[in-house]
Amino acid sequence: MPANNLRKAAILALVSVVLVIGSWELYLRSKGVAISYDNGKELWADKRAMVYEPADKATVFIGSSRIKFDLDIDTWQQTTGRHAIQLAIEGSSPVPVLTDLGNDPNFRGRLVVDVIEPIFFSSAPFNLERPTTNIDWYKKRTPAQRASFVLNHALESWFVFLDQDKYSLNAGLGRLNVPNRPDVYEFPAFPDDFNCSDFSRQSKMTQKFVADTSLQHRVQNVWLFVMDMAKKAPPPKGNPVPPILAVVKEAVSKIRSRGGDVVFLRPPSSGTMGAVEQHVFTRDKFWDPLLAATSSKGIYFTDYPATSHFTCPEWSHLTPQDAVKYTQALITELPPTFTR
Amino acid sequence: MVFNSYTFVVFFIIVLILHNLPFSWRQKKIHLLLASYIFYAAWNPPFILLLWLSTVVDFFVGRALYTQTNIHKKRLLLVVSLIGNLGMLCFFKYGTFLLENFVSVLNLLGVNYHPAKPNIILPAGISFYTFTTLCYTIDMFKKKSEPVRSLLDFSLFVTFFPHLVAGPIVRPPQLVPQFESPRKATKQQLMEGLFLLSLGLFMKVVLADSMLAGSADAIFSSQGKLGALDAWMGVLAFSGQIFFDFAGYSTCAIGAALCLGFILPLNFRFPYAAVGFSDFWRRWHITLSAWLRDYLYIPLGGNRKGLFRTYMNLMITMLLGGLWHGANWTFVVWGGLHGLYLWAEKLFTDRKEMRRSPDLHEKSPITAMAEPLKAGISLSARNKLAYALLTFLLINITWVFFRSPTFSGAGNMLQSMFGMVQGATPLLTTIAIIKVSVIVVVMLIAHWLMRNTTILDVIRRLPWWVTGLSWSLMLILLILSQESSSSFIYFQF
Repeated sequence: MPANNLRKAAILALVSVVLVIGSWELYLRSKGVAISYDNGKELWADKRAMVYEPADKATVFIGSSRIKFDLDIDTWQQTTGRHAIQLAIEGSSPVPVLTDLGNDPNFRGRLVVDVIEPIFFSSAPFNLERPTTNIDWYKKRTPAQRASFVLNHALESWFVFLDQDKYSLNAGLGRLNVPNRPDVYEFPAFPDDFNCSDFSRQSKMTQKFVADTSLQHRVQNVWLFVMDMAKKAPPPKGNPVPPILAVVKEAVSKIRSRGGDVVFLRPPSSGTMGAVEQHVFTRDKFWDPLLAATSSKGIYFTDYPATSHFTCPEWSHLTPQDAVKYTQALITELPPTFTR
Repeated sequence: MVFNSYTFVVFFIIVLILHNLPFSWRQKKIHLLLASYIFYAAWNPPFILLLWLSTVVDFFVGRALYTQTNIHKKRLLLVVSLIGNLGMLCFFKYGTFLLENFVSVLNLLGVNYHPAKPNIILPAGISFYTFTTLCYTIDMFKKKSEPVRSLLDFSLFVTFFPHLVAGPIVRPPQLVPQFESPRKATKQQLMEGLFLLSLGLFMKVVLADSMLAGSADAIFSSQGKLGALDAWMGVLAFSGQIFFDFAGYSTCAIGAALCLGFILPLNFRFPYAAVGFSDFWRRWHITLSAWLRDYLYIPLGGNRKGLFRTYMNLMITMLLGGLWHGANWTFVVWGGLHGLYLWAEKLFTDRKEMRRSPDLHEKSPITAMAEPLKAGISLSARNKLAYALLTFLLINITWVFFRSPTFSGAGNMLQSMFGMVQGATPLLTTIAIIKVSVIVVVMLIAHWLMRNTTILDVIRRLPWWVTGLSWSLMLILLILSQESSSSFIYFQF
């Protein structure tokens, strides 16, 4: 093919790409899809690098998904004037991150740890996988990877279709719902309209989700699947609580020895999930020993009138509106060194 | 820096613009050299010192090797170069492996020795640039080519960013003459280079990472019992993944160099259309197999020292070739299996040719690597296809050892593949099975149809709008796949 023909092919390719991708972007925007950021290890590492801000300027949050929904970062920052660094990871134990911060001689800050007992007191590999991967990525990321993250952030701020969980090729193929062979394990998908994630790593339910009870039921069914899975799982070998408490105690002591501080937090849950959690993971066996072992303050949502009345639409997380109220209540209950 | 990253896109645009500005040729070469150092340092800055050390030592040792007339001093210089290059490779790549094996042997002998595990980080591309510099000093020792006149040209030869980290492994005569006179891509080269870059990224990001890696990882990391269907799908997924990953890298490298006006050697030629194993090694990682042939197999004696030595040399070459891929005995077994296949094929072809030709000892599968594609077994078209499928099947068996981190993992996988496992729970989703099946079947058909041509020949023959639409489809899928910039598998080698 002569150069001229190849140039024509290149122009055709360029025009087609602009037309197809441009149309896709416009279509998604017309459906009300908002900008969302890939909540992967790269964004986590970017936030992890911020924990060295002076203790009077920043508070670090670790945990599972609840604190990501329930802490409204704008409210926190406007009320306290402090930076909220969100390091919680969905469906994951905060213990590896707590251990990492405990072992980091440069971390001297204020740390709020979100406790969801079934995850916090579990040493199952899938609860530890993402934190371990994220920590590893943070420690080994190269200058080229950091530069790519900056460029990716700029692009994600422009295009709504850049959302790997919802609009990637694999997400589209997954949406075909092709039936599987009997007994194939597949984690049920969350509805696309469940939530979106911003650059500060806060998760927010979409207004469509808040208004649509059928979508909420779909997420409730995901939690029922998870609870059923947990019920069928073989019991852990030995009691996992004492070794986890020992690790947590050591990390907390190390942070305090450097002038930092740690508070534990139990955010609201409701419905079947809330009932199961409080029935199986009773306070006297999990929450109270945690506070006793670490000599820490704990904020359990049922202990405070301002936080005990919330209802989670899908049993596990607060709506954006309630997250604002919960954050305000949290600010009044946390020790002053965390908020002033 | 990896090709499949936003950083590389920006980097390459800047390099391309600067290379086309009206600077002198020397200034352009300095710019390319600095760009190559930035490309490498963006991965792990301290390791650039190793690259400099290797470059400077081999430049001066190479020149001394060429001019030295005293054979003893010449041999000493060669030993210095070999120790320098291979010593560095051994320390960084095989240090932990050697120590582990040393400790195992001591423990077997009853010595209770348990040293702390060393924490050695493997510098990116060390296996590739070590082979690049080694072939230069060996060539100088044998006076096979002229020494490179300037340190700038030699540094650029070693460091030129398209081939630096994962090949193709270039020889001095292939690249150094291209640095001697001003070069700028023609419009044709620029367009073909951009097409190859797009194709390489499509192979890596869409096919390897987005479509196949998930299934391969799920199967090879599974702790439970696997059924035959799942096991085969996992192995086939890996067969596709490793091809698209590595051939994708080579295609990007060749494309990037072509955009700048430089031509790198072909590294893959539709390997899964190979009819037999010597044919496979003429098509898979061509620059490595040619390197092993010229700098290991032939110096060992090749096929010049009798049939027994020929077979031994062949096996040693494949075992060391396996070890080059990774510091683990599983890689050695992978190489050994290929050696066995080559033995079997040689036995078969030798017997067949014995009836026709008395000089059968003159050929071996590995020397056939150097010959044009006419080499191999003469078969009817139908038998050729059947033998190609058998070759592909047996190559899949070798990938089990290549991908499994342990022998027990490989053993379990082989048992699953051959239906020797009862009570397995199905693992892969239907959509995963469809993805693997469709991609592998299309890949095999494409390899077979294009086995005697190249991608550039194909696009030169196609109507411009077909090329344009194919190009746009690749780019659209590349953008929509939204895969993060994961490393290429061959970076770890």
